[in-house]
Amino acid sequence: MGHTIRIIVNGMSEEVPENATLVFLIELFKEADPALIVEHNGRFVYPQQYDATTVAENDRVEFIHPDFGG
Amino acid sequence: MDGNPFLTEEQKQRYQRQLSIPEIGVDGQIKLGKASVLIVGLGGLGSISSYYLAAAGVGTLRIVDGDEVALNNLNRQILHSTLDLNRPKIESAAEKLHRLNPECRIEPVRARIGEDNGLDLAKGCDLILDATDNLASRHVLNRISLARQIPLIYGGINGWNGTAATFIPGKTCCFTCLFPPKDLRKLEMGIPALGPAAGVIASIQSMEALRILLGLSPKLAGRLLDFQGKEIRFRTIRLEKNPDCKLCGHTKGG
Repeated sequence: MGHTIRIIVNGMSEEVPENATLVFLIELFKEADPALIVEHNGRFVYPQQYDATTVAENDRVEFIHPDFGG
Repeated sequence: MDGNPFLTEEQKQRYQRQLSIPEIGVDGQIKLGKASVLIVGLGGLGSISSYYLAAAGVGTLRIVDGDEVALNNLNRQILHSTLDLNRPKIESAAEKLHRLNPECRIEPVRARIGEDNGLDLAKGCDLILDATDNLASRHVLNRISLARQIPLIYGGINGWNGTAATFIPGKTCCFTCLFPPKDLRKLEMGIPALGPAAGVIASIQSMEALRILLGLSPKLAGRLLDFQGKEIRFRTIRLEKNPDCKLCGHTKGG
């Protein structure tokens, strides 16, 4: 993990390792949640794709935790 | 509107301020009057959505809940009052809704929705409004929605925050696409809940319900709305069908 890149996570600029996967980012930002919803550059990503999805400079990632109370 | 045979003078007055909305008018009001909505749950979300839909003149509301009014409901479940403590929620709700709009037909059902009664409860309804407080019930609602081919408007809250989405069978992903049952956590008990968060989410669900009943395009179909109350921030993201979904994965749509 030599280089780092800047990406936007939940609207905030963050420094992360180059080619970080979504699995890595979920761990890094403590977003783990069985119901987690992930958006990558405006695209919805299903959990089975987290491992194969990597981020690049200036990418945008949103983590959403759906709510189930009422 | 003058001389329109389909709305009474009283109806013209009652609905005056929405009859003047271009997308509603007399035709829209008549559509609402013929519509039936299944509302499951009469807690924080259902208190708001049932009240708004009755007020707007939706013809029939089938309201389903198995609980009684408890003191720790009253910070947010504003359809019920302190005088209603220990009464079945459907009874308290039916009374308030009838008082608000006697024209609206209220069909109270005291039950917890499940596989055994769900399909029957949705019979004749145009859409399902989710006002439950747990994942298991929402999976039941999803199966009913798919079986009956009627939209499901999901809403949920946690503390200051909430989320909502509309699932249209055959067109969008379904609830189970997003939250496969393997993710079923233990029954969520006592999720923190602030009244206005329920108000925001249930108001959005109500608006979406009215859009569908009026024949307008639902705005949260295939989208998830996320409301962060602490920041007063709204985000929406586009959802896609999960190709691995066991329930709707084989049907087309996206």
